[in-house]
Amino acid sequence: MAHRIDEDIQELVVRYRPIIAFRVRKALGPQNVDCEDLVSEILSQVLEKIQNGEFRGDSSLGTFVYTITSRRIVDYIREKTKVMKYAPEPAPYPDPQESLEAREMSERIKKALERLKPKYREAIYLYYYQELSREEVAARLGVSTRKVSELVNYALKLIRKELKS
Amino acid sequence: MSKCKFEHLIDEYLLNRLSEKDKESFEEHYFNCSSCFEKLRERDIIIRTIKNNPALLLEDKAEVRSSVLASFKKELAAFLTPRPLALAGITALLILIVIFAIVPRSQAPAPNFFLTDEETVRGSSITLISPVIDMNNIPSSFEWKKLGDNVEYQISISNHQLLWKATTKENRITLPDEVKAKMSPGEKYSWQVKAFSPDGTLIAVSSRVQFKIAGR
Repeated sequence: MAHRIDEDIQELVVRYRPIIAFRVRKALGPQNVDCEDLVSEILSQVLEKIQNGEFRGDSSLGTFVYTITSRRIVDYIREKTKVMKYAPEPAPYPDPQESLEAREMSERIKKALERLKPKYREAIYLYYYQELSREEVAARLGVSTRKVSELVNYALKLIRKELKS
Repeated sequence: MSKCKFEHLIDEYLLNRLSEKDKESFEEHYFNCSSCFEKLRERDIIIRTIKNNPALLLEDKAEVRSSVLASFKKELAAFLTPRPLALAGITALLILIVIFAIVPRSQAPAPNFFLTDEETVRGSSITLISPVIDMNNIPSSFEWKKLGDNVEYQISISNHQLLWKATTKENRITLPDEVKAKMSPGEKYSWQVKAFSPDGTLIAVSSRVQFKIAGR
């Protein structure tokens, strides 16, 4: 029985650690040195609450974990605000260096970007880099909004293909 | 990975375009949907890579420009072969012929800038002094304001037709008896003076003034 619980805990950690980590990094910024500690702390809280029977299945486990994560993020920001008066502004788009996997993915994406035809590169440059809306990109390129979606989606498809190869 | 109804929110979430409420709903969703989370994580790395390497995408802008330039040059080169060039030359010649030879003929005649005896010009004018109102008797002389030295004046008197025309260097003239004889009480007459420079150029014209000789 104890072995079974250990397996469940292992599964839970494997499943939710990356999601919690993503949510925490998005809220605090990946450069924040407290991210890893906070993720571990949240996971401990989740396991503790489950073991104490606080998860009664009223909502899904995902929602349960999400709620604990969000509350802890809010508490962390509140604590930091008290100390620093202002929470540090997270760097919005740091290089994805947080994991070896992410770094490898990033290298593959770069290769895929280089191979893209100019029309796809231009569409994703305007859409993702300049953050223009689909309508604005359509106006810039002189095509329909639907065409912009097609260009962006096809470019993503080609990048994903490179990532899977 | 199956298609999820929240999938379209991935870009909106990562580009911070969602309202606080939608953002929270989507966050709760990806804690429950492994398919959306996997796509979200992958898209996040793609967007961050794009954000950190715009040069990779900007190079294509130069390519786009150079490809447009190349195709333009190609078209120009194709156009500049002897046959189309000769056609363009002939077309241009025909257009020039139409503009310079045919079009002017079909237009109205150019305005005439020479004055006839009955025409006047605006601008410099001569002020007539007498007679300018109705007269009791046939006037014996006509007088106007002097324009300057060395000016020759031409006076003309008409009723239904030209009655008399004469020139003088003075600013007044006496009506000869034979002209007086042609004029009769109760009739309307008009007179006008034109001034000419010594070389015969018209320099000023008076208005045509009417007067009536009272009836007996």
